[in-house]
Amino acid sequence: MSAPTESYLKVHYELRPAKQVERRMLADSFQLLLRDFPLRDYQYTGMGSVYFIDFILFHRMLGISNMLSVEYSTKVAKRVEFNKPFDCVRTKIAPIGDVIPSLSKDLQHILWLDYDGVLEQGHLADISSAATFLSAGSILLITVDVEPPTKTDEPKDWCSYFKEQTGDFFDETLPLSEFAESKIPLRNVEYVVSAIKSGLVGRPHVELIPMFNFVYKDGHTMLTLGGMIGTPTDREKVLGNRLAKTTYFRKSFTDPQCVIRVPRFTRKERMFLDKFMPCADDWLPQEFEVSPESITAYREIYRYCPSYAELLF
Amino acid sequence: MAKAYPRKRFFLEMFTRDISLEDCILDLIDNSIDGLIRTQKIDVASELLTPVESSEKKAKSLPSISVEFSETGFHIDDECGGIERKHALDEVFNFGHSAGDVSGSLGVYGIGLKRAIFKIGNTFEMVSRTAKEGFEVNLNVQAWSQKDDSLDDWRIPLDFVAGSSSPRKAGTTIMISDLRPEVKMRLNDGVLAARLRQLISLTYALFLNRYVRISVNGSPIEPFEIPIGASGEVQPAYDEFVDGDVKVKLFASLAARDAQGAWKFEPAGWYALCNGRVVLAADKTELTGWGVSGFPVFHAGKFRGFVGIALFQSQNALALPWTTTKRGLNRESPVFQNARNRMRGAARPIITFLDSMYKPDAPEEAGAKAIADHVVGTPLSTLASGKASTFSVTLPSKRAPRTVVRIQYDAEKSDIERIKKQLRKPNMSAGTVGKFTFDHYLKTECPE
Repeated sequence: MSAPTESYLKVHYELRPAKQVERRMLADSFQLLLRDFPLRDYQYTGMGSVYFIDFILFHRMLGISNMLSVEYSTKVAKRVEFNKPFDCVRTKIAPIGDVIPSLSKDLQHILWLDYDGVLEQGHLADISSAATFLSAGSILLITVDVEPPTKTDEPKDWCSYFKEQTGDFFDETLPLSEFAESKIPLRNVEYVVSAIKSGLVGRPHVELIPMFNFVYKDGHTMLTLGGMIGTPTDREKVLGNRLAKTTYFRKSFTDPQCVIRVPRFTRKERMFLDKFMPCADDWLPQEFEVSPESITAYREIYRYCPSYAELLF
Repeated sequence: MAKAYPRKRFFLEMFTRDISLEDCILDLIDNSIDGLIRTQKIDVASELLTPVESSEKKAKSLPSISVEFSETGFHIDDECGGIERKHALDEVFNFGHSAGDVSGSLGVYGIGLKRAIFKIGNTFEMVSRTAKEGFEVNLNVQAWSQKDDSLDDWRIPLDFVAGSSSPRKAGTTIMISDLRPEVKMRLNDGVLAARLRQLISLTYALFLNRYVRISVNGSPIEPFEIPIGASGEVQPAYDEFVDGDVKVKLFASLAARDAQGAWKFEPAGWYALCNGRVVLAADKTELTGWGVSGFPVFHAGKFRGFVGIALFQSQNALALPWTTTKRGLNRESPVFQNARNRMRGAARPIITFLDSMYKPDAPEEAGAKAIADHVVGTPLSTLASGKASTFSVTLPSKRAPRTVVRIQYDAEKSDIERIKKQLRKPNMSAGTVGKFTFDHYLKTECPE
């Protein structure tokens, strides 16, 4: 199995606005779910890297204090431990696939398989394993890079890549046109969902309850799928929760994806726009030039949008 | 109403095609062991994982099952308690169990005895005695098969005989003669006896020398040891769960090295046991999860150090995921499908370890090799005595950092000779001269 990419060396995690919007939407959704699920008692397991942004967010906003960060690279073991933000965060240096079977069956979990590379065989094994081992009521999130998986610009190469990596999840009947660049996120959704379903085989009392299907782009286009491994009762609870009425909730993975687009506005423009949010469908500011699409996009994400500023310590 | 009757010809000609002679013989041994389980009230689900008290004396006192065959006939003789008359009259010769009949722990489907008789020969004799009562059957299969007009023609004549008078002598003898031509050919192929010994050793590994002795043509059979291992550094994976009537226990670890200090390809892989009977051995195929759902295909070079064991146990043998030949797993069985996913989870960290041991284009990693070399074969009873856990390797604590460096330098021979002469030690080696001069400088010029 190939080692995960070390994107934390290339990208400053705190400066990815779309990713941060996604994190905040997830935190928002978990806050809504608190009414029906004891998320504060859940264990959060993520791949915190050296930034731990999701850990900070979920600890502060949800009060989750049973947290485990799994990092693959032994090269940064000390750095990971040094950077962990709270004492309640445990760290483990191991492939996430080795850790999943050891997740306590007596607890419920939020497990975020936050890969920074394109989907590969090992990821599917992890995803399938997560569906097998996560206790009922647990939430599973998967993030992968959905850019074309090879450096060539040939859909046939991308198709070959997925055929090789996805094995028995690969649908031989799909024509090459289904591997066009625009279709790659959809193919990824199918493979991830298939892997979850394969992991659930033999667990007749639980099912995958879809919740999230985000696509966003800070540099590379990324996909985050998520849902609950839950019982039919859990499904009723999820669908009856206010979460199901949010703009980012997806009750089916075949519904159109929630595309997170962060329009580029100056701080002054944002402060102005915020006074009118949430705005009517046809509202446009008269004070400066802006496209209706940007206003619509901003209306969807303004509550979750980070503000960046320089801090001089 | 249309007829939908059973036909004897079907059972004689078709029913016997999908099973090998070896498996038919194992079916008969299953029946013998079931007799033992029944009369000695052995709780297969719990006792098989307790430590074995092994001694040669104890082994010799165990009930025996003797299998003998030659060109003229096939013979199996056991001391496993015999069959009660009522059970023989109502159940033993039926094709399939009646509703409500409690099947055995190993004999599940109620077809093994009949299928073996039809497969092997034309004349069948059976004598079975419990301590209290007995019966015998003599049947010419060809003659019996001729009459097939009503269900009454499916009865088999049975005579009562006396019991064995003591539980120790109670048992069943089956003789099949007038062998089928194809069976005679197999009996003469020169390999059947060896293959049968190997299969019995493997299939009844958890029963042999614990509850029963088995011999083939007079040679006693020793149990196969599944080469799963552990050590102070290596903690095997142990997972367990209950699915309906079936209790499942999974173990996975590194294999113990063989006598040559190596891992062999053949015994690596997954072993599956139903009520203690090995139904799948050293499986490296997609059946046990290799190469499916993103899990890697079994790599002959890298993964030969992997051994896993899946134990399925149930009082209701029909709920177990075995096939009718008991030489495979029913992949549609829900409990097996659940187990297969968890087997991959148990195996995952071991695969990571083996991946780290055998990196591409690199020699075997020395630290991992040392860990693997310390692994020793470990009985299932020991593995099962711990708590459920994932496979883990405790790396030896890191050595203290080196505080010395090695110095090497070239010196003129004539200079060495001058020092030796000054020291009046002509036999001093050049290396000692070097150390002496270093120490001298350190002492005289670098006081602490």
